[in-house]
Parts: sequence; structure tokens; C-alpha cells
Amino acid sequence: MRRVIGICDLHNEPSLGGLTEKRPLGAVTFLGRYGLIDFTLSNFSNSHIDRVYVLVKKGIVALRRHIGSGSIWTNNTRLGFIELLINEKGLRHPAFNTDINNIKDNVPVDELDFDYAVIAPSYYLSSMDFRPIIEKHIASGAEISSVYVHVDNADSDYLRADKYKLNDDKVVKSSLNLLKSKEADISLDTYIVSKKALRKIISDGTKVSELFSIKDMINYYINEALMEVNGVKFEGYVVPILNLRNYVNHSFDLLNYHIRSQLFLEDWPIYTTTHNTPPALYGKDADVQNSFVANGAIIKGKVHNCIISRDVVVEKGAELKNCIIFTQTQIGKDTKLEYVLSDKNASIKEVKRITGTPDDVVYIKVGVKV
Amino acid sequence: MLNNNKVIAMILAGGKGTRLEALTKKTAKPAVSFAAKYRIIDFPLSNCANSGINVVGVLTQYESTELDSYIGNGEKWGLNGVHCLMNTLAPRQTEEGANWYKGTADAIAQNIDFIDNANPEFVVILSGDHIYKTSYADMIRLHETSKADVTISVIEVDPKEASRFGIMAVDKNDRIVEFQEKPKVPKSNLASMGVYVFSWKTLRKYLKRDSKDEKSEHDFGKNIIPAMLEDKCKLMAYRFKGYWRDVGTLSSLHEANMDIALDKMELNLYEQDTGNRIYTQDTYSVPQYIGKQGHITRSIANQGAIVLGDVDSCVISTGVTIESTCKLTRCVVMENAHIKKGARIHNAIIAPGVTVEGDAKINVGNDEVVLIA
Repeated sequence: MRRVIGICDLHNEPSLGGLTEKRPLGAVTFLGRYGLIDFTLSNFSNSHIDRVYVLVKKGIVALRRHIGSGSIWTNNTRLGFIELLINEKGLRHPAFNTDINNIKDNVPVDELDFDYAVIAPSYYLSSMDFRPIIEKHIASGAEISSVYVHVDNADSDYLRADKYKLNDDKVVKSSLNLLKSKEADISLDTYIVSKKALRKIISDGTKVSELFSIKDMINYYINEALMEVNGVKFEGYVVPILNLRNYVNHSFDLLNYHIRSQLFLEDWPIYTTTHNTPPALYGKDADVQNSFVANGAIIKGKVHNCIISRDVVVEKGAELKNCIIFTQTQIGKDTKLEYVLSDKNASIKEVKRITGTPDDVVYIKVGVKV
Repeated sequence: MLNNNKVIAMILAGGKGTRLEALTKKTAKPAVSFAAKYRIIDFPLSNCANSGINVVGVLTQYESTELDSYIGNGEKWGLNGVHCLMNTLAPRQTEEGANWYKGTADAIAQNIDFIDNANPEFVVILSGDHIYKTSYADMIRLHETSKADVTISVIEVDPKEASRFGIMAVDKNDRIVEFQEKPKVPKSNLASMGVYVFSWKTLRKYLKRDSKDEKSEHDFGKNIIPAMLEDKCKLMAYRFKGYWRDVGTLSSLHEANMDIALDKMELNLYEQDTGNRIYTQDTYSVPQYIGKQGHITRSIANQGAIVLGDVDSCVISTGVTIESTCKLTRCVVMENAHIKKGARIHNAIIAPGVTVEGDAKINVGNDEVVLIA
């Protein structure tokens, strides 16, 4: 068995506006049930990578609440662990709050018993088995491999993702995707690195620029042709969450069974924290169509094309269309919402109508009472 | 809250539950699923947890393996903490030989060593197949303050129904003066719930005595309680208020499920207070999805369920798929069952993992509950 550690890197997460104001992207609710980080942590778990470091840039409280002891993702709870790490110096000097500094401060790379590290972000969702990818990495002889995906919607999704140019399996150029062409090879910011390469990234990082992240360093190696970076193509389905628009559109797309069954594979469970909530309850006038409904929800009104999270209450006469409603939100009697994204604990009872559009979803902040 | 181990609980969970027919063919009754997400034994176990009882022994016998692995170290109910001990107790071979549990009292008697080790003052004896939510703290307090030898939880039943139960006749202070097992002429309407708080010293004495009595059926209701009454021990009745159901038959199991689906709220599973919830195993299933032509009313459905058809007054468990153009009314659909297109089913319990073929018409127009297994 390969000795592998997992590093879930939350330092380079994009902003989702209000959703990531107080929490890391990884802790944002998805499909009413998951935290976005669940996909990466479950990929580690299902790939039997049992020692996982989560590099947290900000909002560790929300993340710790979600992850708890981490035992739901850990195979052997004595040998395995999920550790949440923060770069304490970086908290005082935000510009230096980088993943490289976080590892340098917290991960005993030299003493740790491992041959390879898998570094993955929280903002590309997939069911990815790292084991065959690690084998391809080893077969390539390279010290660093980068996982990429070939897409035909690079003109709409994947804004400012790293776009790769490959020569055979070698990545020769990395640049920002600016939505100019449909087809592109997009980096998933998921890297397999040998222990030697991880050490090198950390020591070079300090020399080249204190502000550089792991991703910056690997792009630097590629573009300056300083080190060979092997590209490994991922053939599975990827959901990019690079901005709020991505988040909203892909949430709704996943209501479609054919899309959903590409992300959720039968033998690849996505684990998440659970909350002892009772089953969803539907009243006699409930009218629910094409929606996800999480446990603990009480639905007495109309819910069409929506994503309803845990413990949400939709009262009689309320009408929700194309809405994403977060945990413990209350929707009062006769309130009509369309294209609304409501964050946790909101209460929408007095205002009787809020209408957004597909391109301009109305965001309601955590705990707002209107 | 009782935050020490002065009190321990023993849950009787060894019965076969023959009246649940095929549902208990391979599963012990306490492990039968309930209300889309739970298993019956989650209720007494959560009640223990919410009462601050840290040491729980579960007496198992029939199909004990599945129940054992479900109970595990008690983590699902938080009973794996530093002051906790969660143990399943199946019959075992000892110096004295090897015996099946011959009755409810014998099951406890064979585990006197387990209780002695915990060294409690009081032992709560519970049944693994009742649906109710409570804290045992009030009952234990009554037991303690009244200096009783045993306190029995009783519930008021319809006097017409009283002859189906074990009935307790009480004096004006609720001291039990007579116990009648399924009497023709009941002397009160207070039925025993099979929930007892014993002072351990007294119970220990009676268990020892009972185990030597070859004529005894080694049963709490038939032997231990009558013997204590005869000896003028102090037996107190604790009047339980609230929702309580014995779900030992298909129709009572169905009815209790319907009580939840129809939102009667007699048993409130939706309380936000975390110390008042029922805990269970959570599955790692995908979110629950209601389809474009789906229609779901007066029902409960758990995560991982897919409802593409028409569902009214139903309980839909994890991993269940109900295909389009189905019509289900008053059905309890247990985990991973699959109902294919066009099926029409009424008043049924659909056992775990069962596939109902398309366009099947089952029990439509019938008031009797059927089991599809």
C-alpha cells in the first residue's frame, strides 16, 4: 500500500459573496445536506487516504462545527485523523496567510511517514478515486502531477480557473481561463506530489515569494519550465464552484437525475455531518415538485424547483419557486419567493413577496428577519 | 437529569415478535424500522440518554447479531462517553452452564453480575419495543421519595380496552394494591407499560428467589411483581402522561407510523431542543428528491428517498424509490423498497428491500393492513 497523506487546501477558495463572508467556502451548505468540503474529504476517505490535513485560512469555527472530530470520514480512528490547521502568524498578516506558510508552521513534513501527498481544494466537486491517479503519477516518473479535466463549457463556467496547455502528458503552460473558448483543459487544482516535491515547494516558496501559494508555485514551475509537471486527465463529472453564479446554477442542475447520477456514484458515498433530525414532514396541502428536501423540514406550502435544507419550515400558503433555502429558515404564511437564496436562520414572514431572476438571485443574509 | 450512575437501565430486547410476521423473520423486533428513519429501540435508548442514564444493558436473544451491531458501543445515542457503558447481553455460557433466557426476569437474573459491577441503587427495566418519548427522571424521583421497592409506569387506558392489559389497582396515594393480568373485570384503568424502576437490592433478592422456583415462568408481570405484592413490598404507580404505543402487531405498528405521518404531534419528533430528540443511525444517502410529477402530502420521508409518484398519508424510508404514476395511500414503505411504475397500494407495510412490480394493485379499498414482504 502506498503511504499517502491528504491535504485539503482551503487557502485559495474563491468568494461566494455573502455565503463566504463568515465561513470558508468548504463549510457552505450544498444541496440542503452537504458542506462543500464533504466531497473532497469523502474522496480521501473512499480512496483510503486516512491521514488528512485541512489547511484553513479563515472561519475555522464554522468548519470545526461541520467536521467535528472527523471520525465520519476516518476509516481507522486510531491511525487516521482529520486535523484542521491554521497559520497563526498569517492571521496577523493576511497577505502572508498562505497554504505554504500553513504547512511550514504545522505539518511535520520531514518526520511524517509518507511517500505522496494529494493536495485538493474544496471548490471542485467530484467523485474522484485518487488511487489510480497516484498510480499514473508514479508511472510518469514526475515529482508533481496535476489533475485536469477536459471541458466544453469553458466559455461559461470555470472563470479564472487555470487553463492548461499540454504536450503529451506534460503540462507546458498554465494561464487564467477568461471564457474565450468553449473547449479547454482545466486544472482541478488537485496535485499529487512526492515528499521530495512537497519539501521543495515549501523551501522554494519562501525564496521566490512569501505571497505564493502551492498553486502559484506549481504554475511557476510549469511556465518557467523549472520542473516537469505531469498532467493526469480526470474523466468523471466535475461541478466547479468558483463563484455564486456557479453555485446557484449547478445546485439547480443537480435536480436533474441524469446530471446528479454523474456526480453521485453508487459505490462512492459522500459522507457528511448529521444532526439527528427527523424525516421531512409534508402537510395535507403540500405541493412539492422537482426539489431536494432535507430532514427536519416541515413543508405545508408550495415548493417547486427548490433546494430545502435541514429544519426549514414552509408554512401553509407560502409559495417557493427556484429557491435555495438554508438550514432553519422559516417561510411564513402566504409569502411568495422566486429566485431567492436564503442563508441560515432567516425568517421571512412579514415581507410577502421577494422576486429575483435566474441571473440575479436575491440573497438573504444569515439570521435576517423580514 | 440524573448525572451519576446511581441508576442504570436494562432493556429487554430478546423477543421474537412473531406477530410482526415476516418483518421479524430475520430481524429482532426492536430492530424493526419505524417512522422512515428510526428503529424501534431508538426510542427507549434515546429516552435513557435524555434522562442522563449512562449505563445501559440491552438483553438480546432472537436474531441478536444484527441488533448487536446496530447498538455497537452506543455512539448513536451518545452513550459512548467517559462515564458511559453500553453493553448488549446475549445468553452466554458460564460456570453454571449455558441457558437461553427463559423469561424477562430470567434475562436480568442471568446478568446479575453485570448489574453488580455497575453497583447502582436503582435499576430501570424497559421494553425494547415501545414507542414513546420521556425522561425517566420524574419516575425515578417518585420512586426515591416514596421509598418504594418498585415503581411501575402506568397509563390510563379506555376502560373498555382495559381487559387487554396488565391492570394496576391503586389506593389514594397511587400505591399499588392489586395487579390483574388481562382481567375480565378490571379494577382500574391503569395499564402497566412494562417500565419499572426497582431498588436493586430488593430486585436482586427476588430474582435469586425466582430463579430457584421451578414452577415460575420467570416473568416480571407474572411472577416477580405478584411475589412482591404478596410480601407487602411497596409498589408505586407512576402515571405516565403522553403518547405511548406498544407496536407488537402489524396493525399497531402501522397505526403508530400513521400517527407520525399525519402530523398528530402527539409524539413530537420535531422539537429543536437537542436534549429531547430521538437519536438514530444516519445513513450517507443522497438528498431526498421529489420529482416533477411527484406529489406528496400528509407524509414523512427520509433522506435518500426518491418520490416520483403520488403519495398520500405514507411513511417513506431511506433509499426508497417510488416511480412515476404510482399511487400509494396509508403505506409504510421501509428502507430500500422499490415501487415500480403504476403500482397502486393501500394500507400496507412494505418490508425493507422489497420490489413491487409495475401496475400491481394491492389492498386497494381494503381497511385491513397487509404486509408486503
